[in-house]
Amino acid sequence: MADLDLLQGTLDLILLKALIWGPAHGYAIARWVGDTTGGDLQVDEGALYTALHRIERRGWISAEWGLSENNRKAKYYQLTPVGRRQLRDKTATWNRYARAVARVLQTA
Amino acid sequence: MRPRFRRFFRIDRGAADVASAVEDELRFHFDATRDELTSQGWSREDAMREAHRRFGDLEATTRRLEAIDGVRVAQERRVQWWDNTRQDLRYALRGLRLSPGFTLGVMLTLGLGIGANAMMFSIVDPLLFRTPDGLAHPEQVHRAYVQTTYLGRAYASGSFSYQMYQDIATKTHSFDQVTGYWSTKMAIGGTDAVEARVTGVSASFWRQFPVRPEVGRLFSPGEDQLPAGEPVVVLSWPYWQSQFGGRRDILGEHLKIGSVDYTVIGVTPRELMGFERERSIAFVPLTSLAANAFAEGRSHRAYYDGYNMHWLHLALERAPGVSEEAAGVDLQSVVQQAFERRAELEPGADPVAELQPRALLSPVQQEAGPNRTAETRVGIWLAGVALLVLLIACANVGNLLLARALRRRREIALRLALGVTRGRLLAQLLTESVLLATLGGTLALGIASLGGGLLRRTLLPGSEAVGIFTDSRNLLFAGITVVVVGLLCGIAPAAQVLRGNLAGALKGGTREGSYQRSRLRISLLVLQGALSVVLLVGAGLFVSSLRQVRAEPLGYDADHVVFLDAVQRDDFLTADGMDQLQRRLLTRATELPGVVAASRAATVPFYMNWGEDIFVPGVDSVGRLGDFVLQTVTGGYFATMGTRIVEGRGITDDDRAGSARVIVVSQSMARLIWPGQPALGQCVKVRDEQGPCQYVVGIAEDIKRESLRDEPGLLYYVPLEQVPLTITGMLVRTTAPAAVSAEPLRRALQAEMPGTSYLNATPLTEMVAPEMRSWRLGATLFAVFGALALLVASIGLYSVIAFTVAQRRQEMGVRVALGATTRMVVRMVVGDAVRLMALAVGLGLAAAVLASRWVEPLLFHTSPRDPVVLGGVALVLVLVGVAASLAPALRAAHTDPVSALRSD
Repeated sequence: MADLDLLQGTLDLILLKALIWGPAHGYAIARWVGDTTGGDLQVDEGALYTALHRIERRGWISAEWGLSENNRKAKYYQLTPVGRRQLRDKTATWNRYARAVARVLQTA
Repeated sequence: MRPRFRRFFRIDRGAADVASAVEDELRFHFDATRDELTSQGWSREDAMREAHRRFGDLEATTRRLEAIDGVRVAQERRVQWWDNTRQDLRYALRGLRLSPGFTLGVMLTLGLGIGANAMMFSIVDPLLFRTPDGLAHPEQVHRAYVQTTYLGRAYASGSFSYQMYQDIATKTHSFDQVTGYWSTKMAIGGTDAVEARVTGVSASFWRQFPVRPEVGRLFSPGEDQLPAGEPVVVLSWPYWQSQFGGRRDILGEHLKIGSVDYTVIGVTPRELMGFERERSIAFVPLTSLAANAFAEGRSHRAYYDGYNMHWLHLALERAPGVSEEAAGVDLQSVVQQAFERRAELEPGADPVAELQPRALLSPVQQEAGPNRTAETRVGIWLAGVALLVLLIACANVGNLLLARALRRRREIALRLALGVTRGRLLAQLLTESVLLATLGGTLALGIASLGGGLLRRTLLPGSEAVGIFTDSRNLLFAGITVVVVGLLCGIAPAAQVLRGNLAGALKGGTREGSYQRSRLRISLLVLQGALSVVLLVGAGLFVSSLRQVRAEPLGYDADHVVFLDAVQRDDFLTADGMDQLQRRLLTRATELPGVVAASRAATVPFYMNWGEDIFVPGVDSVGRLGDFVLQTVTGGYFATMGTRIVEGRGITDDDRAGSARVIVVSQSMARLIWPGQPALGQCVKVRDEQGPCQYVVGIAEDIKRESLRDEPGLLYYVPLEQVPLTITGMLVRTTAPAAVSAEPLRRALQAEMPGTSYLNATPLTEMVAPEMRSWRLGATLFAVFGALALLVASIGLYSVIAFTVAQRRQEMGVRVALGATTRMVVRMVVGDAVRLMALAVGLGLAAAVLASRWVEPLLFHTSPRDPVVLGGVALVLVLVGVAASLAPALRAAHTDPVSALRSD
């Protein structure tokens, strides 16, 4: 299967989702994205970090420095209340969108 | 598995922090990727390469992340700042609400201080700094003056002859525009005329003020040609509104100005005032105004003939790239040539070598030029005084805030100990003082608006009002003053508090170590006292000057004399006709009830002087001795004016054309011309050296004719019939004060006036009063400001002493317990206060004496070191010291030792 190009805003949604279980650093998020999509979504990790910082600037996630599992300094991201609301809204929108596209493609 | 959290930073600060944070984050990412891959059996190099492949362009991503984070940090900092400020404001407001007395006091103090300054700025700014509305290149435009030397003194004059104007316009090459302008009051309208100011300008005026007319057009050089220009008029906006209801279809209508019918060709934009501070109702071509106004035949020559008639003013616009020096040199050479030509044309003129003409280029603001009025000089002084009042107010408020801050020392120390940064605390303290200043500032605008209007009417009657609330320059000034004052008041208490010893403040109660004399507070107090002394000395000097001016003998009784002047418009009487008319008026006037005496007169004090050459046999060129002024009179003159005859007799109705020729001279004139000799019987020839002698029959007391200051008062009186002149004015003495009788007198005599001619009636007091204005103003405002300063300073003194005494409660308790009597305690506390005031008096008097050199020219017969004034002020300050400290001293003396020692 060919790599899927990511639609605008989709990466943001995936990153918000990645943080739903609690704070995580960039590496962990990248790993989670790779594992969950099983390699179907090919995202440069660089683009992933860019998106993380962008949604941090928008106030959807906040960051703090913490210590990683092997005691190294790492930047941990976590959802803000605004981010949580965004995730809820965007998930709903995305599902509607996907259903609509699927319906279109099933006809004919 | 929750990661352990620890805070390293709260907020990233600065670009370097942003960059290192991005670097740290990405390094962790690469390390983690590499570690995982090596644990899966990759070699270190392969693992690193794979990490880079997965990541993509590291360089570009790093830059992008840094940019995003930079924006975010800036945003966060802004939000933080607003949060802090809002919090500080809330905190400050709560603090102020809790002490309404303090808040109100500070608001009033600062309101008065800032208000005084905003008021003075609104007065001084238009005089000295503001440039005329609509002027295209104000920094390149100059008013021209010529300074000449006469009898050893230099005089600068801004009035030019038409010929000199033409010379400058055609022969200089440094100026793009040379505009001549002149304004005068003219009779406006037909039968029921009123006088109003009309300005004549050369057409180049409209190039200096490139305005778009509200209606119609402006006039061109072709309409401003000798001898009489075109009768076209551009109305000024307010006059168009008030008299024509702002109708846009007025073009082509007629307006009678003086004796000429003008055609309306346009209306100026609303703001246009031209180069003058007083509004004109209309602008007309310069030549047309001159031909119109000078048509009365006051001069036997045309207004544009020769160099002798100085009437118009010049505004010169330097060409771009020409320096002021170069333009000045250019102008000087043309002026010099003009003076030389004049000497050739007029044999009687003073020699050029003696006049030493010097051309001056001044800024476009008239009061920034060489002939600054006394009102402006007093205005500048008062602006300085207002600044002093503000400084005193600041010192006082600073002191009050300091006291508050010291009371909050423990609270502040506690907050510092809890980790609040000093920066935040400083911001909080300054927020409070700036808030107070802003509250005071709003009050100040009201004060300035009221006071400014009042002051303008007395200081600059006739000038255009500038609103405090509606004018951006005034508002900006007030705003800047508020911020500066806020910071100034807050900085001292903030510094004192933050410098304080944290641990000491926390440990001690109010008892231990809390009584320290604050050197800063004491200095502020002494400063306030010293500044008050300076102001009170100023007030004393001006009050004394005003008293001296009032007591100064004028040499006549201005209160009961009215000056009546006949103004003709359409049909001009011959010299004979005017003489007949004046005789009729004089006879009619003396018959009126309430009239004591009347006389025709050529010279009116403070209004106009008539000069003629005089010759005295045996004395060479008398004219070089001084400026002699001629008064031609009829019989009732000395009775009318109340001028005393010191020796000999006055002039009577029997001194006629055919009788013995007589002259009366003033005392100074007699002393100057015939020192040590009897003046009676001496010969003076008026006008003509070959003419007959007028023999001195009397000596009159000196009068003030041009200035209330010492002037030579060189004046001589001759009977009108013996030295005929065409004069249009007469003086009338009434039993009622002149201010009351002027109007009925005018109405009674107007019936005699032929055609459209009319009479102007002016009480003599109105001519003299403006001369006293600067002293009256100085006395009033210095006194007001001085009283204000003293009030503020005494409140300050009281609060500091009360505070200190309260702090020393334990000590007082101990003293009382050990047997100190009320007397002893009171003497100690009051003594402290008096010592402080004595120090302030010393400093203030020293400053006043140092400043005396600059005040002296503004005073009248008063030494700037007047011992009565200086001593009186010193006494007042010491009394204030006693009064302010008495109540706290008594409270201290009645301290209950038991409760004082137990407390805290």
